[in-house]
Amino acid sequence: MYVGQPIRRREDFRFLTGRGTFVDDVQLTQPILHAAFVRSPHAHARIKAIRTDAARKMPGVHTVLTGADWLKAGYGEAEGVWPVNDRSGKPARTVNRPFICVDNMVRCVGEIVAMVVADDRHQALDACEAIEVDYEALPANVVTAKALDKGTPLVHPKFGTNEVLESYHGNPEVVEAGFKKAHHITKLEVPTNRVTASPIEPRAYMGHYDVMNDRYTVWTTAQAPHIVRQYFTKSLRIDEHKLRVIAPDVGGGFGMKLYHYPEEPLALWGAIVTEHPVKWTGTRSECLMGDTHARDHYTVGEMAFDKDGKILAMRFKTLAAFGAYESQWQASITNAYHFTMLSLAYDIPGIFTEVKGVYTNCTPVDAYRGAGRPETVYQVERLIENGAKEMGMDPFVLREKNAIRPEKIPYTTAIGITYDSGDPPELFRKMRVLAKYDALREEQKKLHAQGICMGIGICGFFDMAGAGPVKMMNDLGAKIGCYDVASVRVHPSGKVTVFAGSHSHGQAHATTWTQIAADRLGIDIEEIDLVEGDTDRVPFGIGTWGSRSLSTAGMAVVAACDRVIEKAKKLAAHMLECAPSDLVIENGQFIVKGTDKKIAFAEVTNAAYHSGDRPKGLEIGLEETAFYDPTDCTYPSAVHLCVVIVDPETGRVTLRDYFAVDDVGRVINPMVFEGQVHGGCAQGIGQALMEECAYDPSSGQYLSGTFMDYAIPHSTDIPSFGIESHTTLTPSNPLGAKGGGESGTIGAPACIANGVIDAIWHLGVRQISQPMTPKKIWHALQSAKAGR
Amino acid sequence: MANAKISLTINGRAVSAEVDTRTLLVHFIREHVKLTGTHVGCDTTQCGACTVHVNGTRIKSCTMFACQLEGAQVTTIEGLAKGKQLHPMQEAFREHHGLQCGYCTPGMVMSAIGIAERYKGKALTEDIVRHELEGNLCRCTGYHNIVRAVIAGAKAMSAG
Repeated sequence: MYVGQPIRRREDFRFLTGRGTFVDDVQLTQPILHAAFVRSPHAHARIKAIRTDAARKMPGVHTVLTGADWLKAGYGEAEGVWPVNDRSGKPARTVNRPFICVDNMVRCVGEIVAMVVADDRHQALDACEAIEVDYEALPANVVTAKALDKGTPLVHPKFGTNEVLESYHGNPEVVEAGFKKAHHITKLEVPTNRVTASPIEPRAYMGHYDVMNDRYTVWTTAQAPHIVRQYFTKSLRIDEHKLRVIAPDVGGGFGMKLYHYPEEPLALWGAIVTEHPVKWTGTRSECLMGDTHARDHYTVGEMAFDKDGKILAMRFKTLAAFGAYESQWQASITNAYHFTMLSLAYDIPGIFTEVKGVYTNCTPVDAYRGAGRPETVYQVERLIENGAKEMGMDPFVLREKNAIRPEKIPYTTAIGITYDSGDPPELFRKMRVLAKYDALREEQKKLHAQGICMGIGICGFFDMAGAGPVKMMNDLGAKIGCYDVASVRVHPSGKVTVFAGSHSHGQAHATTWTQIAADRLGIDIEEIDLVEGDTDRVPFGIGTWGSRSLSTAGMAVVAACDRVIEKAKKLAAHMLECAPSDLVIENGQFIVKGTDKKIAFAEVTNAAYHSGDRPKGLEIGLEETAFYDPTDCTYPSAVHLCVVIVDPETGRVTLRDYFAVDDVGRVINPMVFEGQVHGGCAQGIGQALMEECAYDPSSGQYLSGTFMDYAIPHSTDIPSFGIESHTTLTPSNPLGAKGGGESGTIGAPACIANGVIDAIWHLGVRQISQPMTPKKIWHALQSAKAGR
Repeated sequence: MANAKISLTINGRAVSAEVDTRTLLVHFIREHVKLTGTHVGCDTTQCGACTVHVNGTRIKSCTMFACQLEGAQVTTIEGLAKGKQLHPMQEAFREHHGLQCGYCTPGMVMSAIGIAERYKGKALTEDIVRHELEGNLCRCTGYHNIVRAVIAGAKAMSAG
């Protein structure tokens, strides 16, 4: 059995030796031209004039293109794949993110105004410098909490409001009743900070148009190549059969590389105009302002407890920032992933939330690892933590008291989502042992007596992973079908190529998908290769995002392998003169049960292609494709715990320990799974303590344009992790596997915040917004001191 | 804009070229010599994805102009393995799952070898490795397994 083993990764050799092929590494026989862009330096401005004459005469320049040219070419828009669906019935106020400014208005810093294509990067950048744009700067709106206030500048004045949509979810009557009979009510302002995924590989695109064959090719840093191909049918109006999209090695995505960014069609447009391949590779500054941002919810909430600490009800009001435009998947956060998971790991009778999407003069917001659930867990867990403290109860015990009992699972939350498997009390019990919780509380008492501010943070939650089935996701607003695809091609020699519609950009599919296939086919893993990321080779695919690849594409691999085996067994049975049901497959052989009669896998596969002696009606060849639509999402669950030390003199947080107990069902490769948890936690820790896409509130200027200003965690900021698993299998797929990719980013922000507050609660601090920088913590401590 | 002629050695091979004086070492390596294993992840020398060895010292190749490298000995990630035989540090990264997307990996490995050489004969602790790796950013692994890989790789290098 390969499944369940920590098989070392088969893709590592090329990455470790510098032989990976990322988009910027792709070499062609023709010279590659370079694109560079003139971008708006203003958050909000009217363009009075664009002068490009000087730039056109610069050395090496092939073309200069603006929005006027785009309109002339008759190209289209970046239509949403998850369009806004206002639940109250009012039409949503959608404006798609433009590829290039076409209406002489720029609405966020970094918006593209003009493109230069030149022989090399320096020439393209020099020519951009020579383009003169006259802007009339306008007042900007960059503070989410104030987006709907009277007098706030309107991003799209035609609507008369900055509101995109409004939606309500939950059971308000139960909530009302819960608050009426509450013994204690906790209220908090719980905003989540604007962050961005920041994979180390910048976004990059290369377009090529083969005039003679009327064929287009795009190399792209994408997580879902077939979806990219679909985007192009709307943007440059290219038919799918004319376009090949290749997403080669991609250096991290985290959801952020799912979208049809402006530079993607613009690079191909440049190639069409110049009849040369055109490439753009983002600088870090371009990426920090142009990559979709994430989170940025302004939320206020309250929670009602009975006298024993049982949660009766909770209610929230959220303003969810969209940024200046609606990015293609943005509404999947507000309309599918955020409110749905509000019950976390707890049995809460009453939940109600009101969400308003709002436009601001900021970079568009879209999904980033966790997409909506980090906000959810943060807003609920902060209330639980403060509620427990205000009632004088141990926060761990209060959570255990509210955890959904295993006998109540399948459990339907007050929001209406049904968790199909899990055992939250067991996760808490394992965490108590793993973190040595009781000893930690003893240690905390001693350290506090010495003036050392140690804190323990806790959170517990369910995630909704594995987007699918198609119908459920359609109902939640998806215009794309959430299934996935795999083809298993068995060659005459018995060697196998698997083609999958998922895309690995760090997730190790070349290892894990072949582990699954090797077990299913009963052959050596070395006899199987994986192909992903090429629309001309893979039949179709919805791509890798939302912790879905294993429970969709992985299960498509299972289904396709099973069909291959079913067919091969018919042939093997014919060759061995037995019934197919008499056969078992072991170590590359078909064996007649209870006998020594057997035949090699390779002999059967050769016969499948070359033998005329086969059962009547059995088609030649051995290749199967499965389009797999799961029966449900998957619902992984986890409990996180951290230990922090806050220095009251400087406000600096030292993260001493971080533990996670995860239930992701069947684990294909524990080494890969733990790596996913480590990485996710580090990103969540970054959100909690240091990361922020900051805008100057008066000018709207973007302040986080380099890695000196946007602080992603360094090796010194992160501790070693203590990870454990608890396995309950989901009934929704044949392997019982649930999504394992997002637990870290979902849990860590709440966990860290609770730890920091726990460390300085005794000094009077009740809430600090994220990122909890030393400056903010120091100020909170001074305010608390002054208030006493 | 001016050009300069340079001659240097990359992975044991003599290379001569005429380059725009604005050309950074990393762009020279990637675009002129076509060794694309050395990556660019930022514009401000924060990420370390472009780390190479110049005359035996680890250095971020975005901090030097190519024209400063006359006569230098440069080693990039492509210069480590012998055929399919990985360098002990590469092997340690594989064994300890010290990479996911693989983009920061070449810089990480070059930096890790620099650390191992610097602390030759001394025991590497987690604290030392975390401190020494501070100039290399990884967004996938949370550093946990990279730290283990560096310690194991350094041990294997000193044993070898």
